[in-house]
Amino acid sequence: MNVAKAVATRRSVRAFIDRPVPLETVRRILDQARMAPSGCNYQPWEATVLTGAPLKALQDTLLATAPDDPLEYDFSAPGQVDKYKHRLTSLGAAMYGAMRIGREDVDQRELFSRANLTSFGAPVLLLAHFPKLMKEAQWSDVGMWLQTIMLLLRGEGLDSCPQEWMGMYGRTIRAHLGLPDDTLVFCGIAIGKRDPAHPANTFERERVPLDEQVRFIGF
Amino acid sequence: MNVSDAVANRRSIRVFEDRPVDLALLRKVLEKAQMAPSSMNLQPWHAVVLTAEPLAALSAAMKASKPQKPAEYEMVAKETPAQYLARREAIMGPRMESLGIARDDMAGRNAYGLKNYEFFGAPACLFTFVPRALSANNWASVGLWYQTVMLLLVEAGLASCPQESLAFYASLVKQACGVDDGEYLFWCGMAIGWPDMSAPVNNYARPRVSLDESVKFIGF
Repeated sequence: MNVAKAVATRRSVRAFIDRPVPLETVRRILDQARMAPSGCNYQPWEATVLTGAPLKALQDTLLATAPDDPLEYDFSAPGQVDKYKHRLTSLGAAMYGAMRIGREDVDQRELFSRANLTSFGAPVLLLAHFPKLMKEAQWSDVGMWLQTIMLLLRGEGLDSCPQEWMGMYGRTIRAHLGLPDDTLVFCGIAIGKRDPAHPANTFERERVPLDEQVRFIGF
Repeated sequence: MNVSDAVANRRSIRVFEDRPVDLALLRKVLEKAQMAPSSMNLQPWHAVVLTAEPLAALSAAMKASKPQKPAEYEMVAKETPAQYLARREAIMGPRMESLGIARDDMAGRNAYGLKNYEFFGAPACLFTFVPRALSANNWASVGLWYQTVMLLLVEAGLASCPQESLAFYASLVKQACGVDDGEYLFWCGMAIGWPDMSAPVNNYARPRVSLDESVKFIGF
């Protein structure tokens, strides 16, 4: 699959088929993703990849636990800037609209949100973490690495869903996996094969026009 | 080009051909990259691409100035563990060797560093800004988009070099790009052009840590 097609067909998949992903495939992808760039070649990314019974055990723990209080980082705040708030609400409207869950149906929305804790049925979960002392620039590096993985997954006919939701359970995840306290759990990447018929996987994704974000000078 | 070839072939290019980049081609790449994911769909990337005269004028202004104080942002933690510094040195060694600069020749290394402010001869540079109102995880979203752009450039036959060191001149960059300092922080430049693959600095082997050093597999 070429890059353009991988970029265009990558979407956050929120319903997976119940089919395992072999270790060999995951290792191959992560091995290739090592060539992602990073500032000063720090390669600040770390990950723990779970499947099978150990994944189920983690999920059971998460389901029985409340989110961290306080959170270790807050991904839900789009700042006080209206344009970002709008982008967030437009995603919610498209996704829940496709699933016929109304704005006022708080229970159903909550239930679907909690499906994050079982990674929407994905057979594999990659938890991305890094030392807490890393600065914003290293968060960008981790982002470059994660998109490399998500595009390589497309290249193998696989799908993913980045889940910052997991970041709300950093303490629980660290304790469960035996990760050091100075590690920040940034996000999960649910990995598996999409259920193509599920409405959560078919809605049209909205993006702002290019000219709203990029200007060209001197051409 | 398949994805894994693009990932393997993308490298920071530091010698470019003297040949302009077509606006239509660049727009096509950036249009496609819009589908990159982002936290809460905020799409927090903001960028300005300069070429030709405006880019040359910025280069001249940077070369005539000193790095700004205070710094635009702290690029790495002061207390960074030694293992990360070792990863930096692991790539600086072969890079300097490819340039014929001795490992301990700090003057030579610094002189070469100034090429950053000529964008290594690239005909275009994409300057990326992050909204100050947004938190650290949005920098990761900008990273998702950034690598999408770099891989699409490779597929188009183009090449890039991400240049955080341009942030030493963030206020000059903002002036040249017409970007509001109150609203945005300048993160990084990306030199863009056609790679000269005959240059040794575009060919040395790039060291990375082994997979098992950074990733653990459980339950497979």
